[in-house]
Amino acid sequence: MAKYLVLGEQASALGDFLFFLIAFIILTLLVKRFAWGPVMKMMDARSAKITGDLDYANDERQRAEKLASEKEDALKNSRAEALQIVATAKENGENQKKALLDEAHANAEAVRQKAKEDAKKAKEDAMNEVRGDVTDLSVSIASKLIQKELSASDQESLVDSYIKELSTDETK
Amino acid sequence: MNENYPIIEFLGIRFNVTNCLSGLLAAILVFILVFILSRKVEMRPGKAQNFLEWIIDFTNGIVKSAMPGDEGRPFYLYAFVVFLFIFMSNQIGLLLQVTIGGHPIIKSPTASPIVTMAMALMTILLSHYYGVKKMGIGGYLKDYIRPVGFLLPINLIEEFTNFLTLSLRLYGNIFAGEVLLVLLGKLAASMGLITYVGVLPIVMIWQGFSVFIGSIQAYVFTTLSMVYISRKMEEE
Repeated sequence: MAKYLVLGEQASALGDFLFFLIAFIILTLLVKRFAWGPVMKMMDARSAKITGDLDYANDERQRAEKLASEKEDALKNSRAEALQIVATAKENGENQKKALLDEAHANAEAVRQKAKEDAKKAKEDAMNEVRGDVTDLSVSIASKLIQKELSASDQESLVDSYIKELSTDETK
Repeated sequence: MNENYPIIEFLGIRFNVTNCLSGLLAAILVFILVFILSRKVEMRPGKAQNFLEWIIDFTNGIVKSAMPGDEGRPFYLYAFVVFLFIFMSNQIGLLLQVTIGGHPIIKSPTASPIVTMAMALMTILLSHYYGVKKMGIGGYLKDYIRPVGFLLPINLIEEFTNFLTLSLRLYGNIFAGEVLLVLLGKLAASMGLITYVGVLPIVMIWQGFSVFIGSIQAYVFTTLSMVYISRKMEEE
């Protein structure tokens, strides 16, 4: 056995060396051709597929989340819009009501003013008419009574003084 | 251990028939194994493909533990074949010890130092080749005076010790296992039926242990191969 352990003693060293080298290389090539290649390809394909699926799932989830948040926003917006529409309508109604009321008030005021003015004017007209009548009347009366012709202008100033007296009495 | 190996001469080179036949048998068995396991390669693996992928992942893990990055990629196949071949070689001798006419024909090829040295030499050559390829010839040579110049002789000796320990560790383990197995066989046959029955459980225990040793040694050989290769490719 000791002889066997001395490497140089074994005469077949080179042959075995070469044989194993060649056998191993051929074995490696065969394994690569028939088993390693296909299996490795499949393993790579599988890992690529898993990565792709994970990415896809991730994208899908993000999209779904985005969609959900968009929907929520839209819902929130529509609610706010509805509230605003109602508020606007209310305000419009309020404004219209106020405008109508104002207009009515203004109309009524105008009518009242006009009536007041008309009345005042009628009164003034009547007063003027009365004034003229009284003048003429008093002149004719006076001329009849005293048979004395008074100048119309004197008479008029006399009547005016009476009338003034009369109206001051009236205002008192 | 029977040392009466048959030797044939071919083209002026002498071949040890036992080693060659055993190695050939181991290679054929490895090929048949992976061939059968890889017949139906699908995206959803069946049992056979799962098993094969488990072995591949295991050997890839060995490479990755030495070379974590992409630089380990060229060695995945090498580690796979080395592991399976050495594993199969270690186990052959436990099941099969064929002797014809006083000449052993089939035994564990790894029980011969020449065979283990052939395997170790392959690894060492690969490590030097990839060392030069990766670092350039200058970087490769500079590796011998690291960390300081006067360590050059030690670094040179280390190359040989790496080679020797890698090969002789495997050889020693498997050779010792076979020697004990043969001795137990002789003991069993020495005194007829009594020793036969008595030694049988011991043989079984030792065979089981040898299976374990053979697996461990295949793993150790592959791991150390990758460590030696990665050390040559390391940048410091």
